[in-house]
Amino acid sequence: MRSAVFLIIGLVLSAALFPPQWYSPRLRFEMAQIFGIPAYEERASMNATDPEMMAPTEEACPEDLLGWRDAQVIDGVSIAAAPTCVADNPYAIAAFVRGTNNVSTDTLLRAGLAPDAVVKGADLDGDGDPDEIHIRLEVAELNGGSPDMLEPTAQFALAPGITPGLWVFVPKSFGMATENFESNVAMDLLRLPSPSIRIEQGDVVKVTLENTHYMPHTIHFHGVDHSYLTADGQGNDGTMTSEMPLLPGEARTYELNPRSTGTAFYHCHVQSQAHILMGLQGMFIVEENRPNNMLQTLNVGAGQVRVTSQASREEYDQEYDLHYTDLDSGLSSIIQRSNDPAEIERWIHGGYNLIESNSDYYTLNGRSFPYTFRESLVVTGPDELIRLRVLNAGSAGLALHPHGHKVTATHLDGVLQSLEAQVTRDVFWLASAQRADFTLNTTNDGLHSYGSGVWMLHDHGGRGITNNGIAPGGNMNAIVYREYLDDNGWPISQGEDMSMFFNPAFYRRDDAMVMSGETQFTAGFMLRVIAFSLALGLALASLVRLLIPVVEERR
Amino acid sequence: MTRAPGSSFTSSLQATAVLLMLWCGQAAAQVGSSSIEVNPIADRVPLAREDHSHHEHAADHNMKFDDAGMVMNSNADVLPQDCESISEDVEFVVYAGTDYALSAAGRTFGYSEHEYHVPPCSRVTIHFYNEDQVRHQWMLHGLPRYLYPQGMFHLEASGGQHVMGTFIVPSDDATYLIHCDITQHMEKGMKAQLVVGAGSGDLWSVPGVSADFNHHEEKMPRGTLLLMAAMVMLAGAMLTTTKL
Repeated sequence: MRSAVFLIIGLVLSAALFPPQWYSPRLRFEMAQIFGIPAYEERASMNATDPEMMAPTEEACPEDLLGWRDAQVIDGVSIAAAPTCVADNPYAIAAFVRGTNNVSTDTLLRAGLAPDAVVKGADLDGDGDPDEIHIRLEVAELNGGSPDMLEPTAQFALAPGITPGLWVFVPKSFGMATENFESNVAMDLLRLPSPSIRIEQGDVVKVTLENTHYMPHTIHFHGVDHSYLTADGQGNDGTMTSEMPLLPGEARTYELNPRSTGTAFYHCHVQSQAHILMGLQGMFIVEENRPNNMLQTLNVGAGQVRVTSQASREEYDQEYDLHYTDLDSGLSSIIQRSNDPAEIERWIHGGYNLIESNSDYYTLNGRSFPYTFRESLVVTGPDELIRLRVLNAGSAGLALHPHGHKVTATHLDGVLQSLEAQVTRDVFWLASAQRADFTLNTTNDGLHSYGSGVWMLHDHGGRGITNNGIAPGGNMNAIVYREYLDDNGWPISQGEDMSMFFNPAFYRRDDAMVMSGETQFTAGFMLRVIAFSLALGLALASLVRLLIPVVEERR
Repeated sequence: MTRAPGSSFTSSLQATAVLLMLWCGQAAAQVGSSSIEVNPIADRVPLAREDHSHHEHAADHNMKFDDAGMVMNSNADVLPQDCESISEDVEFVVYAGTDYALSAAGRTFGYSEHEYHVPPCSRVTIHFYNEDQVRHQWMLHGLPRYLYPQGMFHLEASGGQHVMGTFIVPSDDATYLIHCDITQHMEKGMKAQLVVGAGSGDLWSVPGVSADFNHHEEKMPRGTLLLMAAMVMLAGAMLTTTKL
């Protein structure tokens, strides 16, 4: 009888003393419904979030409900059609061409842009286009952690189910960061890569970085003509030798007046071994000065340039920005593990070791295959000249290989090569931070093009065509002739059914990294564990004592 | 920070000064009775970004949008269906920025106040001052959708700017979410709650009010199992060797 009492006491005590750290989230939620939420406590420890993979199998080529693919005229800006499944917001393009200060409020609202995101001013050289350009960029965190949710917030998937933490420069926007209040998916302006910036030679350019992020950042303009100091003596190079990093909530304006043209690069220079890999990198293109040159100042997500420059129109039928980079989930998962910036900073500084790490995701224009096929296809007909501006901002080299074509490098790191030096070949090596402008000639002459088809365009290094080692993935893309393109923008191919790649399960590794830290060994926690164990022992021993007579009786 | 009539508790000199200013302002406003702007509310369409038509005009929204920021769905005169009259006029002056982050883990941004109490059917005016050089928002969710498109009242101030807006709360006791929806601003401290009447319970992870949902993680520390086993055996051994 006494044993039964001890058993009950032991069970009740064990239930009561079970450490709350081990309650399931569901149980804690239910308990909060009854007992209320425990009081706020200040603590320096970290939170861990287990990044849930995203929703189920999806359509390869989602329907264009908003009509963003169509050729259209908005606020007087003629925007070329986008042949791919997923297209940029044409209202944002119109605002980037005319300036957010020169378009209707309706266009701004549909674009999601702040009224001062891209301000265009006076025509300084009197040739019919504005030459004072003021760009405002913010810093957004995609797939970040949260103290409230197990899933990442403001999600941006590189490929089905792949949502590593990212930091990106974004155009200054307004309102919600997600598609709507019910959604957890980032709105279209907030994405990898940081937008391509396009300005004209001789423009008086200001780029204001409004640091909306919880980490310090700067912008360094790599390969763009700029002075070391601004007119009022502030640092203008973005590096630790020119200025202090920009703290959260602060803003700083960089001044540029580029005398030379070419494809360049901009990136954050604070802890650049980590911040660049997190996504704080973009293309910066200085176009030749031409009359009436209304440039699309920002190209969100890089890719097809839907409003091309006058100089580009003189020589080329189309223009594409191809931004290649890679990232390391060992680094980018840090921001999903903790909600404490100090903790994140300690991990990036001393916990993460670039020397011992390898990139595991490879992207083209912010996406990995199969999503690259939705928005980065190079779509052409025969006998076209296409300009491909290529940046490799990744940590490793890029062996870029177009199938069925040999392309010609006209510019290297933004510098025009003499005709004799212009190399034509089918694999180009681009080291980290190198840029090249290629001419893709689709004339079927057995050299420049072998004719129509769906021709792969990818990094020939093996890693580059995988998602964390699973192929096909990475920066796999294609040059597609129009006769091989479906009306919805998906290539008509002869081989495998590509819909099977649109399933997170395809890219899930068996040895998925277990992401968690450990509960701290505080005195309270240890006492609780000891008390719980004693109570459990009491219950178990009482049970044994209760059962012994029963067992003996049966004998 | 400050609730003009009735509330006298303030924690700083600055807030006291604001309280006094407001008190005077409130008195003046009461003399002139309804001095607050009136906006047409009827027949609104959802935000242009979310619909699938090219022909609806964003100008139809009850919205102010300029370099200072934006005010969306401000409503000073249309009553919720369950209110017969405005019970009280309440004003708050809210400061936002990194200076108001509480000094706990995960707090980089913050509001001067993270919890607001108002009576049911009250008319609430928010003066929102942004002291940073970047955008911040004071976005309230969960209001009745027939009055506030998407159930939302939204203030957004550009760096160094000030905006104000007014809304009328329904009669139910409820707790509403307030946050800044710029990525990571809510997660890093810009989360608050509006408690109408007795409220409907606290929200998670409101700085200074409630705990985070993701507490310590669920993985057992190394050695804990060994320790537990030892304790269980100890208790068992003690009990079985004791004569009861």
